[in-house]
Amino acid sequence: MVKIKANPLNIDFKRCTVENKLQQIRNSKVATVPEIINVWTIDIEPKESKAVLDFIRLETQKTDPLSLIHIKRIRKSMDTNKRITLHVALCSTQLFHNKEDILSKLEKYSTKFQYTNLCCTNKIPMEAAPTKELMEKWSEEYWPLVWRGNPNNQILNDYTFDFPFIEEIIKKISKLSVEEQEKGNKMPVVSAFVDPLDATNVIYATDSRHMAGALPLDHSILNGINTVAEKLTLRKSENPSVEDDGYLCLNFDVYTTHEPCSMCAMALIHSRIKRCIFVKEMKNTGALRPDSGDGYCMHSNRLLNSKYEVFQWIGEDYGTSVVNDLECC
Amino acid sequence: MTSPHTHHMRQALQLARYALDHNETPVACIFVHEPSDTVIAYGMNDTNKAHTGIAHAEFMGIAQIQRQFGAENVVRVFSETVLYVTVEPCVMCASALKQLGIRRVYFGCGNERFGGNGTVLSINSDKSTVSPNDNATYLSIPGLYRREAIMLLRYFYVRENDHAPNPRTKKDRRLDRETFPPIDWSMYISRQTFGREFGVENLRLYDTNADVPSARVPVDSTPSSAPGDIDWELIAGPCDDILELLDAERKGAQINLSHKKPKTVVASD
Repeated sequence: MVKIKANPLNIDFKRCTVENKLQQIRNSKVATVPEIINVWTIDIEPKESKAVLDFIRLETQKTDPLSLIHIKRIRKSMDTNKRITLHVALCSTQLFHNKEDILSKLEKYSTKFQYTNLCCTNKIPMEAAPTKELMEKWSEEYWPLVWRGNPNNQILNDYTFDFPFIEEIIKKISKLSVEEQEKGNKMPVVSAFVDPLDATNVIYATDSRHMAGALPLDHSILNGINTVAEKLTLRKSENPSVEDDGYLCLNFDVYTTHEPCSMCAMALIHSRIKRCIFVKEMKNTGALRPDSGDGYCMHSNRLLNSKYEVFQWIGEDYGTSVVNDLECC
Repeated sequence: MTSPHTHHMRQALQLARYALDHNETPVACIFVHEPSDTVIAYGMNDTNKAHTGIAHAEFMGIAQIQRQFGAENVVRVFSETVLYVTVEPCVMCASALKQLGIRRVYFGCGNERFGGNGTVLSINSDKSTVSPNDNATYLSIPGLYRREAIMLLRYFYVRENDHAPNPRTKKDRRLDRETFPPIDWSMYISRQTFGREFGVENLRLYDTNADVPSARVPVDSTPSSAPGDIDWELIAGPCDDILELLDAERKGAQINLSHKKPKTVVASD
């Protein structure tokens, strides 16, 4: 992770592009209602704050499955006698499910600070707000938040890219797509599957639905997933004694010439890929761009709990074939 | 009298039970050629053995139909085929079924995480997923033996937790046989469709998000059980002969495709 200013990549945070070659694709509908989680809180007197923050630093911050860097840890309140009480968010309820568990942690610090009112009824937004206005609104409604800029800027900044490699694969699938068209394939769609642990053995897959004996479902992505599975099954059966971590298409990068349809976009979720890069949008049948098809944004749909990164190649056009825009890819 | 719906969903549940007994997710389906009321294929989840996240029950059934009738006939067969599946098809399967032009789907319980027939997305009635035949959209009817389908999943999760590296507390692990979440029918079908499928006299179930009792699916069978009853016999015992029975039926299947190129398609394997 580098600081945004130090990133050597040319990132346009407004347009969400990287090196003018990749366009980030994400759900453009800004969530105005946050997803809510509960936090364990205690009430303390102001003089205890340092000891309590030490507790957070040493006991909860690093192990909490949810990052709480978007909230202020302390909320102040004052009673009619102008007595100040601090309400401190210790951790999410995902770190400690039961009161006994957090009590036993606090027990160790009983000589360091006094507290009252340990409870898990306070709610906070699970993620940072996308705009400053929403941050202020949510701070009023739930719990004081911190503004660290548009959270997508950090997301964009944290992505890693091997541009020469990406460009080489894009060039290759575009060329294969042209070859498929020349061979008479009415659906010249080509995908490439790259295993991060074996990046030199790229698996290329074509759309075979118009071949003899094929089904209308034999899209390049489904064919590619099946090829990966066949190789994995063979590898595991040939070396049954070797511990093989191979699992589905875990953390794969998938490159494809045309925006995937609802079936293929979901198959990529089931396959646990890390990233998909496509070249041409399918405005009627695509399932990734917010303005394609029914606007599913399958990879960043809040309701489907798995997620993968998606980019559209906007760099040099290497001549990807055109397919009928009423077909699913 | 037993309705074809009751009969086929019972077969699907027995098959799901079979999958559970063989350490797979208890989700199974039966494909039925509707005009002849013949089982032409079945499927169980196979994601563990096949090392792929896409080996869902529906895909196994689709492969059987492809082998049996030839790839070139699959779309024509699908135009007259109905699917019975214990759990709502996921988004991927819902899309695959549409791209093959399935006539209709019946399912047991909803798929909370990935459901593509109304729970998460409604692929069956969308615009962007293209169908090859006249079935541009398809109806998907929930709630047949819903509690039995839920119970099979609960058996699986209770069992699975025993193997988990960090088993949850005993309280979480206890098998719940009593409580079932309400079913929001309106996410899946209209009131009118419900009335047609389950009988207008049962519309209060639609309005109150209540289950259709299993013994009363459909309405013409004997109403012997109160709402909330579960047909334990159906899901509690092993059912080792279900594969044989289904294989016999599907391999003997001779179906007449009633429109376009009318000819008898005979099973080949």
